Amino acid sequence: MTVWIVVLAAAAGSYLFRLSMIVLADRYTLPPTLERATGFVAPAAFAALAAAGVATACLGLGASQAAAPLAAVAVAVIAVLRTGSGYAAILAGMPTLWIATALLPS
Amino acid sequence: MLTLVADRRDLAAGARAMAPWLVGIVPFGLVIGLSAAQADIPTLAGWLTGPLILAGSAQIAMIQMLDAGATPVVVVLAALVINLRLIFYSATMARYWRGTPWWWRLVAAYLIIDPSFAVGMDGYGRPVDRRRGHAYYLGGAALMWVAWVGAITVGATLGTGLPAWLHLEFVIPLFLLGEAVTKLGDPALRRAIFAAATVAVLSLAAPLHLGIVLAIVAGIAAGLTVQPRPRPSRQQPGQLAEVAR
Repeated sequence: MTVWIVVLAAAAGSYLFRLSMIVLADRYTLPPTLERATGFVAPAAFAALAAAGVATACLGLGASQAAAPLAAVAVAVIAVLRTGSGYAAILAGMPTLWIATALLPS
Repeated sequence: MLTLVADRRDLAAGARAMAPWLVGIVPFGLVIGLSAAQADIPTLAGWLTGPLILAGSAQIAMIQMLDAGATPVVVVLAALVINLRLIFYSATMARYWRGTPWWWRLVAAYLIIDPSFAVGMDGYGRPVDRRRGHAYYLGGAALMWVAWVGAITVGATLGTGLPAWLHLEFVIPLFLLGEAVTKLGDPALRRAIFAAATVAVLSLAAPLHLGIVLAIVAGIAAGLTVQPRPRPSRQQPGQLAEVAR
């Protein structure tokens, strides 16, 4: 139940953002610092969620298997730096994760 | 205002301008659909974020946080912080939509997101009458919407019933990591990324999963400490599409 409410609330809020200045532009202007700040939001959120996701995966797997996601992350970073494509992280990281998980003792 | 027969050519031109963005939109939609199917939430709820929120980064953050059991208020807060930029897009589009009928503003506003914004600005920037700009925007945004929702649907359908050993729950962290790594070349973004990642790990045990919101705020603050460089050129298609950000 809560999940649906969360989705609807975020949807309503996002729609109001989209509509906001179309309705209010004549009365308000936005500070440039805020505009610059919004450019950092998505990269910061992505980094935060990625770091938290990897850390949670490691903690959930236990000491013996925790090296698997870390290996996947290392290979993914190298792949992205080499190719310049974000999707390379998935294409290189997932097979690494499967191999490492299979090789490590459970 | 939009007489569809007369504007068909502009609608098609807008759709063509959107085509390069599909390279980013479609894989991202697939990842989101897949994650919606894998997460510990009803798949339909995850799918609904597509047509209802229409903003990839907010959607992926929400699915990830709901799956982790974060408190509802914090999930909504995180999604809205990520979507704050829509207010700026709204302000920019307001200029072109002044004096248009309400139904148009309500529909056109719903479709505002990074790719449609970029294509729309391209259309309005041409020295043609504004009505043709509207058709151009609508043509691009409509194609984007169909590709986005379609890709999420395919991902959500394929994502159910895949074996556990595939560890598909790790696709999202890897995707997010990959996107973050591509931004490391910019000094301000680099600082924002490292600050956010550090705070996220340190605050892993923070109550209500507030750590993610804290980390985003820390990232923004860290990024702002770097002196801005002269404005970079406009976003180009092929960069991660943001229905996709």
